[in-house]
Amino acid sequence: MGVMRMGYAHVRVTDLTEAKNHYASTMGLYETHTDVSPDGARRVFYKGWDEWDHHSVVLEEGGVGVVKYGWKVEKSEDIDIIEKKAAGFGVTVERMSKGENPEIGDGIRFMTPSEHVFEVYHEATAIGTEVGTHNPEAFPRHLVGVGAPALDHSLVTAEDVQGMEDFLREVFDFYPTEKAMTSLDDDGECVGTWMTSNNQIHQFAVIGGPQGKLHHFAFRLGDWHEVGRAADLMTMDDVPIDVGPTRHGITRGQTVYFFDPSGNRNEVFSGGYLAFPDRPVNIWTVDQLGKGIFYHARELNERFTTVLT
Amino acid sequence: MPTLTIHPTGEVIYLETGETVLSGLYKAGYSYTVGCKRGGCGICKVDCHGGTFSYERPIASTVISDEERVDGTCLSCRAVPDTDITIELRGDNVRLVNPFLRQINEKARLRAEAAIATHTCRQGPPSAGTSEE
Repeated sequence: MGVMRMGYAHVRVTDLTEAKNHYASTMGLYETHTDVSPDGARRVFYKGWDEWDHHSVVLEEGGVGVVKYGWKVEKSEDIDIIEKKAAGFGVTVERMSKGENPEIGDGIRFMTPSEHVFEVYHEATAIGTEVGTHNPEAFPRHLVGVGAPALDHSLVTAEDVQGMEDFLREVFDFYPTEKAMTSLDDDGECVGTWMTSNNQIHQFAVIGGPQGKLHHFAFRLGDWHEVGRAADLMTMDDVPIDVGPTRHGITRGQTVYFFDPSGNRNEVFSGGYLAFPDRPVNIWTVDQLGKGIFYHARELNERFTTVLT
Repeated sequence: MPTLTIHPTGEVIYLETGETVLSGLYKAGYSYTVGCKRGGCGICKVDCHGGTFSYERPIASTVISDEERVDGTCLSCRAVPDTDITIELRGDNVRLVNPFLRQINEKARLRAEAAIATHTCRQGPPSAGTSEE
């Protein structure tokens, strides 16, 4: 089946101590590893309680924004297939070796047309979920803060949104579940696309904007109540909330957008309907984009398209 | 107890010691375009025309160039004035969105000024002060 999920988001933070406090104490992620990168930057690796692979979030000290994304494929042959397709698309692909990323196996690395670095891998050290697999409890008894179970998806910006959609379709076998278009006519331009490889409503989304930038990366939650409780905890911990709790028209998911201590936008996301490749794609016209993004306020706040890291 | 003057409207806002420019403006009922409030996005930049300020918390080097470090560019969410400062907002001007808070800030500023005046008066010139004792 190729790409199963976004395995990791590797981001930069200005102050590692403050960032650790946010991702561990407020978000409730589990620290699995710390090291110093070959460039000399301190790094911390995290996983959510319901994730089994070694890590899903990597923080690297120095700057802001996204360093790279890791994508886990189902079979090792998928790496070769994606390598060929990416090369066929005209992208330069390099091989990466086991251990270049701690606890991650051999794979490939390339720069997308949107100038984001993607890594594709098949093996990651499995350390198990926090509830195990033998008669597991519903959730760990002593979760910290929000207690996010898993990384969910990310939204980035690109100058050529349609080009990036074509790339993800061609190379990753992703399909769009929803799109934002300048008009419903044939000459309408794609200004946003929400894409997935499976039933998850979106794994990666792209909106128009500068190359290589991060809009947000999101953690999965169970339902509205958990999203509301997460927002309460953000207030208790003085986390700047960007928007929410509210619903997205696009995906129908429930959400809070907020910022980490370095200014990277995070999201907690729940719900969203099941995606299928044969389901007709939802189209949002730009005049209704406010409703698409924030279903209740129905207007984009001034930060939505300007605040990127 | 620095004050913050907004050019060109001349509004004077009273800040607590250690308070950021953004926090002071918000607390006084004013609003303008801001982003992450954590020094990472650079949306809340203003221009400092007088006085000095420091960044006491981290800011992303990518949002402030070396040139901007010395040309008066002030990342308002992280900038803490060292002295009275004068700033000018970029693009949209500052908007008074809460007159009630502005009134409270105005009173706090007047109280602070009165306290300074009384303090100076009580101390008087050095010679007068010692003769009373």
